[in-house]
Amino acid sequence: MAAGESPLEQFAIKRLVEINIGGVDASFTNSAAMMVIVVVLVTLFLTLSMRGNAMVPTRWQSIAELSYELIAKTVRDGVGLEGRKYFPFVFTLFMFILFCNLLGLIPYSFTVTSHIVVTFAFAAFIFIGVTILGLVRHGAKFFSLFLPEGVPIALAPLLVPIEIISYLSRPISLSVRLAANMMAGHTIIKVFAGFVVALGLFGIAPFVFLILLYALETMIAFLQAYVFAVLTCLYLNDSIHLHH
Amino acid sequence: MPQMEFADYAPQLIWLAITFITLYVLMSRIALPRIADVLEQRQLRLSNDLEQASALRDEATKALEAYEATMAEARSQAHAIAMETRDKIAAEAEKRRAAFDAELEAQTAKEEERIQKAIAEVESNVRDVAIATAQAAGAKLLGEDLPADALGRAVDSQMEQRA
Amino acid sequence: MTADKPPPSLEDLDERLRKARSAQEHAKPPTRSGPIGQALRLSTEMAAALVVGAVIGWNLDSWLGTKPWLLLLFLVLGLAAGLLNAYRAAKRLQDAVDNEDKSSGA
Repeated sequence: MAAGESPLEQFAIKRLVEINIGGVDASFTNSAAMMVIVVVLVTLFLTLSMRGNAMVPTRWQSIAELSYELIAKTVRDGVGLEGRKYFPFVFTLFMFILFCNLLGLIPYSFTVTSHIVVTFAFAAFIFIGVTILGLVRHGAKFFSLFLPEGVPIALAPLLVPIEIISYLSRPISLSVRLAANMMAGHTIIKVFAGFVVALGLFGIAPFVFLILLYALETMIAFLQAYVFAVLTCLYLNDSIHLHH
Repeated sequence: MPQMEFADYAPQLIWLAITFITLYVLMSRIALPRIADVLEQRQLRLSNDLEQASALRDEATKALEAYEATMAEARSQAHAIAMETRDKIAAEAEKRRAAFDAELEAQTAKEEERIQKAIAEVESNVRDVAIATAQAAGAKLLGEDLPADALGRAVDSQMEQRA
Repeated sequence: MTADKPPPSLEDLDERLRKARSAQEHAKPPTRSGPIGQALRLSTEMAAALVVGAVIGWNLDSWLGTKPWLLLLFLVLGLAAGLLNAYRAAKRLQDAVDNEDKSSGA
């Protein structure tokens, strides 16, 4: 790692295999490679760890079961029994984002979730899906989400635009939060890793700091994936039960 | 900033869709049902074990109660036997004591009779000796034979006065 | 008799049974994010609404030719929506904390 290299260099998309389908660029990039690795790792982790099917679980099996139960509880608490249908989606979302976040911490790897286009794709998909779900379920009554009950009608012209802006801001805050967290964390780590390399023997203090930073970033990687899952459940709940 | 390279958006979105849908299918079809199955089985097993433990505990409680009941019964039985034995021994002792008392009384009565007889004998002997002595004394001092029955009366009255 | 210690009493067994039962029923509490994370979350909520308001205002302005009044209006509305977002997020966090305290305090 050259000291002169920009810490943002790690976020650059590199085309590994140029693919073009009907004029659309579908190249296999470093980002795509990480996504494939994530799919393979998540699948291997969740199938191999459960292969023993032990009554007293091994460590890996416990982790797999814990992640299952964490998301199951999040969906149950956040959406209720009707949320069961969406559990596989929320779980896949959580695992995908979690593994993207964690694998990105490995030096010289690439963080898929540091790109706003990826996180915004997730957020927009959830936003559109949840809006359609609400409209199909409740019809015109869905719009009552924008006018809280018990509010005087005179305030409606003011409150309805505010609520609509609030509603529209969901996918933005959802996607920006994740991408910004990942980008900031990884940039800081990169900068400090550069310091450690540049200082050589005198880099022990920055090295210790780097380790602490890694611990913090690992926690944030988990927390951001979890927050994404929690908010997805929250939005699902709003559409299903029509209240904030 | 690499995040703002719009030309890179299409390949990222396409591969995101491909990989995410793949993972979703793999999760919902294979991984999640398996985990759910294992968890459900464990839950079942756990509640079974708990139920079994509960049943065994109830059994233990019952056994303890039965044991205590048996102990109480045995204790009361032992008590009854002890009481009975004590009563029997007491009765036996009482009977023996009564028999001994009766024997002792009979013996005493017999001895008393013998003593009485001896006393009477001695008394009559004393009377005879007194009469004879009086007769001898009368013969020697007065030179006359004193009538025996008069002497007898005198001796009797004297003895009555002394007695 | 080979036992060198007395067999567990029924009370002991009861206690262990009860513990096993409650352990089976109560799952672990969810993780809680730190204060920095919460502050970041709230500021993201605010900024997002402000951006949405600005984008709507800007587009309406260029469509209706009312520059810059609708942009200003929607910036204000966006600020209000941002405050609403932040308020709701904070309330959710508080509720989560309360729930956690309730379940752990029981």
